[in-house]
Amino acid sequence: MQSVLARSSALRQNALKTSVRSFASSSARAQAVPSEKPVLNKQFKIYRWNPDEPGDKPTLQTYNVDLNQCGPMILDALIKIKNEMDPTLTFRRSCREGICGSCAMNINGQNTLACLCRIDRDSGKDTKIYPLPHMYIVKDLVPDLTLFYKQYKSIEPYLQNDNPPADREHLQSPEDRRKLDGMYECILCACCSTSCPSYWWNQDEYLGPATLMAAYRWMADSRDTYKAQRKEKLQNEMSLYRCHTIFNCARTCPKGLNPAAAIAKIKLELAAE
Amino acid sequence: MSASLIARSAVNQRIASTFARSSLRPLAFTARSVSDAAYVPGGPIYKGTVNDPTTFPPPSKTHGSYHWAFERLLSAGLVPLTAAAFVTSGSSHALLDGLLGMSLVMHSHIGFDSVLVDYLHPRKFPILGRALTWALRATTVTVLVGVYQFNTNDIGLIELIAKVWHA
Repeated sequence: MQSVLARSSALRQNALKTSVRSFASSSARAQAVPSEKPVLNKQFKIYRWNPDEPGDKPTLQTYNVDLNQCGPMILDALIKIKNEMDPTLTFRRSCREGICGSCAMNINGQNTLACLCRIDRDSGKDTKIYPLPHMYIVKDLVPDLTLFYKQYKSIEPYLQNDNPPADREHLQSPEDRRKLDGMYECILCACCSTSCPSYWWNQDEYLGPATLMAAYRWMADSRDTYKAQRKEKLQNEMSLYRCHTIFNCARTCPKGLNPAAAIAKIKLELAAE
Repeated sequence: MSASLIARSAVNQRIASTFARSSLRPLAFTARSVSDAAYVPGGPIYKGTVNDPTTFPPPSKTHGSYHWAFERLLSAGLVPLTAAAFVTSGSSHALLDGLLGMSLVMHSHIGFDSVLVDYLHPRKFPILGRALTWALRATTVTVLVGVYQFNTNDIGLIELIAKVWHA
């Protein structure tokens, strides 16, 4: 706002100085002409499925985006497509900086966040965008995460302590706090769980890497006193032990976390009991 | 016991197949069709409301940590057992012969059982899953008996492998 005012007052002074010249010509002279960048078209092939036409099979729809008129990330391209080409394209997004986990999708075969994934500027290769694999689809790139959230709820992801200190907050040593590093950062984008073949085949019973890492985050917390109950829940064939250390979770995590390590620690603690 | 199991699994499967047939038609996510549709493991219908957490099976260490620890210790134990079988001969160490035969068969039983639990679990395949689980158990017992017979009445496992190795 301020800059607009400053510019308009500068223009007015300019107009006063050279009163012969019209306002329009002076403003055109004052604006910098953007240097024309060459057109760099890239094909984006995006999974489309519309619940309003449930008889139609899902298809890949191709969009051409000029990368020189587009931001650097996949999410920028998606937003550009939605704004300028096809308003029916549906996807989740919110923070556009990798902290909300909304824009998790499968980009060129890898589950990741669209906002953290750079567009490959090689215009010869197309980019394929699918929703998270092996999930029920609500529309286009929007998967149904209800079960994922129900599973997260089942591990009681909150501090449980029957004897809270009466007069102050829970205290924790820096060493104990450090045990939570690499786990509390999880944003529950579901990239890891939906990259896990075990989760694909048995997701109604197997909790999946994201939920298991959240479970271990509370087991490892020195302030939580419900460790035994938390461990006992996992003592069955399906909830934890369908993990076969495939490591897709650690490879795909857009936050660089390692759910596989957390699961291995749960297994070790259960076995050492 | 088995008759009732088969009867129950047949009912399950009939429900599953009717659901599968109805789900060939468009997946309409209206409130009415959701409440009418039956729950199928791995299907789009959830148990309870969206706000209910998922439930856990009854806790059992036999199926949980004991099974896992046994499986890992058995796999780790097979390494020195195999090495020992290489440096000795089976006929002079009958115990080693028996131990190797037992643990190899158990190791492969756990492996195959894991495949069945992953891909053909009885909750999804009530008849095929159960049939294959019992077929695997029967095979394991048969092979164990066979290995015992072979070890006691014939040259034994290690000698056989040595002979095939040098043949």
